[in-house]
Amino acid sequence: MEYQKAAELNGLCNGKILTVDSKKVAVQHKNEISRKEAEDESRLPALEAAYTTILRGLGENTDRQGLLKTPLRAAKAMQFLAKGYHETIYDVLNDAIFDEDHEDLVIVKDIDMFSLCEHYLVPFFGKVHIGYLPSKKVVGLSKLARIVEIYSRRLQVQERLTKQIAMAISEALQPVGVAVVIEAAHMCMVMRGVQKINSRTVTSAMLGVFREDPKAREEFLALTKGAQ
Amino acid sequence: MERFKQKQMNQNENEADSAINGHFDGRVKIPGWSAGGAAGTPSTAPSSSVMESWREERTRSLEDNEMSLPSIAAAYTTILRGLGEDPQRQGLLKTPWRAATAMQFFTKGYQEKIIDVLNDAIFDEDHDEMVIVKDIDMFSMCEHHLVPIFGRVRIIVLPSLSTTFTSCFLFCTRIVEIYSRRLQVQERLTKQIAVAITEALQPAGVGVVIEATHMCMVMRGVQKMNSKTVTSTMLGVFREDPKTRDEFLTLIRS
Repeated sequence: MEYQKAAELNGLCNGKILTVDSKKVAVQHKNEISRKEAEDESRLPALEAAYTTILRGLGENTDRQGLLKTPLRAAKAMQFLAKGYHETIYDVLNDAIFDEDHEDLVIVKDIDMFSLCEHYLVPFFGKVHIGYLPSKKVVGLSKLARIVEIYSRRLQVQERLTKQIAMAISEALQPVGVAVVIEAAHMCMVMRGVQKINSRTVTSAMLGVFREDPKAREEFLALTKGAQ
Repeated sequence: MERFKQKQMNQNENEADSAINGHFDGRVKIPGWSAGGAAGTPSTAPSSSVMESWREERTRSLEDNEMSLPSIAAAYTTILRGLGEDPQRQGLLKTPWRAATAMQFFTKGYQEKIIDVLNDAIFDEDHDEMVIVKDIDMFSMCEHHLVPIFGRVRIIVLPSLSTTFTSCFLFCTRIVEIYSRRLQVQERLTKQIAVAITEALQPAGVGVVIEATHMCMVMRGVQKMNSKTVTSTMLGVFREDPKTRDEFLTLIRS
């Protein structure tokens, strides 16, 4: 009975039923998620108390209607914005690495990125363009965006973020070259300090052939400039 | 009338309840108005009266800022630890202080009053056509999630015979700064700006439109990248006279 059901649900592989294994994996994954959730839950009261102190320190009245639940909401929002600490690339890559005979540039561009400046705890956001030259192995395209998510949902510095993304792809795929370009607006510069509204920061990380060969780099940059 | 009902509710309120944005309600009489309230946005809680007196006291001073800085910085250190980060690493060593100062900057509207802004020269201009101030960049803080809101404000003022005109542009931009640099809700911000301009300039009509992006919607929650929230408040002739309102909306769209 299970055999037939599995066959319908695309659960057969080499005559083995996948559903049992995938159930185990799903349970394991769920346990991990619940453990992370439990960890988050246990830290919430401290974060809430901290936010209440901040609101009072700013001169606000924490009993007014609009601010009653703000410490809780702000604490949860901050936990969401820092959720990248819980994740590793191996969770996310999900074995989505495939053998393909493709040796030309693969680019995923205009990936929206939101991160937190580690110096001011204020957001910075922008777009990430990733390109890599595969060496017999390609990765599922959405996984590149997921790698961006993991590293950006942390307290970051844009330079480090760029490098971490590049290194992660490099480690996972061992490609011939990886190029990552991030263009972002930093609220710490826009909303305070120098207050330059239109300024953008661009950082790049070039590994492998992109670092050594100017032509490869040129091709990547030309293709990512395309639809901006 | 809505305004009459509000006044009644105000009189029954507790002192503690009437603090909005850290300021206490003034009881302000606006002569010659037949309707109060924001255009199009239903009033929610009874205590959210926005008739603020422009002679209000500042709730915060520079000394207050200095005194509360250590406790805010300590709170930020707790937050960093609570997120699982190591506050001793090089990039985070001074972050609690920087973040605390930044947050005080983002709420510096509490340190300012409208009357400061009006101390600039007041000119009696003979001008009875609409004055539009467009694309004022606005940065505020969501009071529900403590995450930035940013967008643009457009203000239209139709002066009346009794209007004393300061440099309208300067006045409007500074009013926007004062009210936006607080913990805000976009609807309330729009209304506060409109009311402040009305009280200060006594024009025949004021219209304020704010179009903003809320990071609380973009970075978390529903995560809709391109969504914008538009709120507007029209007071005076803009509210009553449909032709003037049409002209206002056409100019706003341009």
